[in-house]
Amino acid sequence: MNDELILQHGLTLNEFQIIKDYLKRDLTMEELGIFSAMWNEHCCYKTSKKWLKKLPTNNDVVIQGPGENAGIIDLEDNDGVAFKIESHNHPSYIEPFNGSATGVGGILRDIFTMGARPIATLDSIRFGEINTDKTKYLLNGVVHGIGHYGNCIGIPNIGGESEFDSTYDFNNLVNAMAIGHVKKDAIFYSKPKTIGGLIVYIGSKTGKDGIHGASMASDVFSENDEDDKRPSVQVGDPFMEKLLMEGCLELMSSGLIESMQDMGAAGITSSSVEMASKGNVGVLIDLDKIPLRQPLSPYEILLSESQERMLAVIEKDNDTKVREILKKWQIDYEVIGEITDSKNVVFTSKNKQVVNLPVNIIVDDAPEYDREFYLPRKRNKKDFDCTHLNLEKMINNLLDNLNYLDKSWIYNQYDSTVMGDTVKEPGQSTGIIKLHDSQKVIGATTDCNPLYIRINPELGMIYTVVEAYRNLISSNIKPIAITNNLNFASPLDPNIMGEIVLSINGLKKSASKLNTPIVSGNVSLYNQTNDLPINPTPVIGMVGSNLNINKIISNKFQNDGDIIVSIGESLGYLNSPYFLKDQKITKEINTFNELEDIDLENEILTANSIMYLADNKMIQSCNDVFRGGIFMSLIKMIEKDYGFTVDLPNKFDLFCEYRAGYIITVKEDELSKVCNYLSKNNVSHSNIGLVSNETIKINSKVFDYFEIKGKYLDNFEKIIN
Amino acid sequence: MRIKILIRLKKQILEPQGKVIEQSLNNLGFQGLENIRQGKLIELDLPENLNQQEKDDIISSACKKLLVNEIIEEYEVLG
Amino acid sequence: MSFKSAVITFPGSNCDRDALTYLKDLTNGEVLNIWHEETSIPAVDLIILPGGFSFGDYLRSGAMASKSNIIPEIIKHSESGKFLLGICNGFQILTEIGLLKGALIQNKNLKFLGKDCFIRKKHENKFNKFIKQDQVLQIPVAHNEGNFYCGEEDLKHLNDNGLIAFEYCKGSFSNSDENINGSINNIAGITNEQKNILGMMPHPERAYQSFHGSKDGKIIIESLLS
Repeated sequence: MNDELILQHGLTLNEFQIIKDYLKRDLTMEELGIFSAMWNEHCCYKTSKKWLKKLPTNNDVVIQGPGENAGIIDLEDNDGVAFKIESHNHPSYIEPFNGSATGVGGILRDIFTMGARPIATLDSIRFGEINTDKTKYLLNGVVHGIGHYGNCIGIPNIGGESEFDSTYDFNNLVNAMAIGHVKKDAIFYSKPKTIGGLIVYIGSKTGKDGIHGASMASDVFSENDEDDKRPSVQVGDPFMEKLLMEGCLELMSSGLIESMQDMGAAGITSSSVEMASKGNVGVLIDLDKIPLRQPLSPYEILLSESQERMLAVIEKDNDTKVREILKKWQIDYEVIGEITDSKNVVFTSKNKQVVNLPVNIIVDDAPEYDREFYLPRKRNKKDFDCTHLNLEKMINNLLDNLNYLDKSWIYNQYDSTVMGDTVKEPGQSTGIIKLHDSQKVIGATTDCNPLYIRINPELGMIYTVVEAYRNLISSNIKPIAITNNLNFASPLDPNIMGEIVLSINGLKKSASKLNTPIVSGNVSLYNQTNDLPINPTPVIGMVGSNLNINKIISNKFQNDGDIIVSIGESLGYLNSPYFLKDQKITKEINTFNELEDIDLENEILTANSIMYLADNKMIQSCNDVFRGGIFMSLIKMIEKDYGFTVDLPNKFDLFCEYRAGYIITVKEDELSKVCNYLSKNNVSHSNIGLVSNETIKINSKVFDYFEIKGKYLDNFEKIIN
Repeated sequence: MRIKILIRLKKQILEPQGKVIEQSLNNLGFQGLENIRQGKLIELDLPENLNQQEKDDIISSACKKLLVNEIIEEYEVLG
Repeated sequence: MSFKSAVITFPGSNCDRDALTYLKDLTNGEVLNIWHEETSIPAVDLIILPGGFSFGDYLRSGAMASKSNIIPEIIKHSESGKFLLGICNGFQILTEIGLLKGALIQNKNLKFLGKDCFIRKKHENKFNKFIKQDQVLQIPVAHNEGNFYCGEEDLKHLNDNGLIAFEYCKGSFSNSDENINGSINNIAGITNEQKNILGMMPHPERAYQSFHGSKDGKIIIESLLS
């Protein structure tokens, strides 16, 4: 095995030496392939593990934290909710349709492999500047792919976010989140229990898809790479996955399965290794038994990432019954091996062992690095001249910016109401889904503020977590837990590594304070092209609940004449990075001022007050305030022909970011009760105006309601075409 | 023996895909590529031991019964 | 007298549970779930062919489902005058079987469409009789191939015999086109001559509870039960 071969497999020469020393012998090609898959960033978290270990991952409502296919939280009675977010960035850049479709497929399998029926998806997608054909192609492909897979398998897409920024010009991001409903007494884990249990293969035949996908996830692209990498992209079949999902759920509810693991990144390799590791057992698998689409070598079989495949362990006696159920669902099934007590991972082909590795060296003893990192430089305070900005200019700057516009062009390509339990349409910030046969609802959101995190990774991350938190609170959903997808550039650059370390620290601080532990997640590194790194983009997926659907409040105006009350305080434009950027005052990252510190106590206090008011039906609606300030929150609250009349002494406050920022609307005769309550609880608030039919009037200036509403609703499609 | 069946929407049906393809080709600088229509191709192996009549019958039967929706589609056996 | 109903599940049907819940909540009779390979159905008053992507929508939407084992029983049930409701993919299956005229082809803008739409009754039948003329219903659609097509003769037949159950129309406060997918004559749902079979693209089973945002989908079952 020469050096070039080792490096091509994504291992450093040092890492290879460690393996050789441990085994005290040469590796087979197949074994090299296994380490190439299992020791890359995507599977073993070698760069981030040290820091991720510091995150809060447990409290009394966490049933399952990180370490399984998905995290699970307790929703009382026998209800558990499983959820996770995962990235499929590199494949989506190479082939956006299939790359994003298979991202959805993969995350759904992570949910149902635990016995949870998937009930919702969300997606967080980021693209470069829209004015290139490439970006348009990626946008169309990604949205088409996500829709294609989710719609066909019949799981509603209830929300998500999108962002357009030049930092993603050559590295678009696709993070797919899924949520499932599971009965607490029927959760399935990947840990096998019985020595001698049969290892069975369930699902699509294996082909050449995605060979070296897991290593591809960690490779840095050079601009001309795409054509070479194209054959590696996996192609998904959502119809097959629907059958697979129903078949597996039926098997699990029939008590025929001992443990289950989906074959995702690094296919049969990672799933069998993980099973062995969890169960502290060994596996013996005959590669000749694997159902194939085309002739494949043992090496190719081990690394194939063909979609829609599961690995399970069953008791010998159940073989016939399992076969019957899978036949009904037209799913391929083969017994391929058995659980042994050896603690080794053994693969055979043509009666020869091609792989014989102790599980430990693959999993527990995988490398863990403590990479060098730099702290960000201190920033000097700057002043900015905003005197040229009048209301009209500020409004137009936002309505010409894709990031502020209504995204129905995207979400109308998704089915958001299949399964009949969606409580709100997407387009509102919180996706809300009712648990079937129950009055309990779950709310979820995905958020990230890369600009803030770029300025100050630790504090910026806290702002991101708080944004997600406010998002759920605004619908009266109590935040419970987090799944996170860390998207960064190369950790070999100490500045980038600093972004990783510090944002994880910020996540730790905010998640601890807000009592929203991290129960699952994913890391995607090396998102850069030609030495152009992406902005740090650690996406937060936050999930919460309300046990009574009748307590949910709307994010839209409800009645003409309702009073509009703003909650919280403006950060002021000097401390509002999005204001400065999107009002075109500055864009060079070094010019932004330091982020203002964030008062988490105040955030919690405000949130609790809003929940109290909502529980007692004292507010008509609520929306959170962040990017785009009060103005954008008000625009998003428009429904039917409701508009608003507001007065703010400082016009910039209408567009700045806010501390503990929300807008609530209150019936006129409830106003004093509400304001008294807020004052008593030291929640900063201000009566700023009224809900008014067919009106947008700001500081006595009348704007054309239909023109503004029209721009907000129609400009996205206009700009992208 | 490998058979190719080309299935197309009937001419009188508005076929938006062809229009979009035409527009895109236009944008790429191709002039004069007009009247584009998009169809689908089904390829299959026929059993070897059939005579020509049997082959024709089995194909037309498969098309009529499943492969082609005669309300909106027409088909042509290629080559 | 209790009203018995059944929902057929094909491989890839994904609105079958939705239809079962719809029937269980709104009728007082037994609700059965029948697998597509069965060759007999107990006597019921209403069969629903639910929405979804039966057989992946491969070849054509509803094409392979229309050849399932259960289909002769469904035809028998409808020939006896009992009710048959095809929703979305179910509508596609009914046209592929030939129980309803026309065909559903790709949406005119070539994209999947998942949003609320607005429909009104055009010609009366037992499914829509409680709906007032000019009453606008708000019901979600979710389809790739919702564009209804039929030849001129068939269109004349549908109009002359009063078989157009629903047509798309404009909703209040909405500035989107009333024809959302290119359907000929804005047709959103049709019946057979006997008017006991209805195929419709919108999903009434997603618009009958308060949290759905619209309860307009209830009217169809209420009409049938009367």
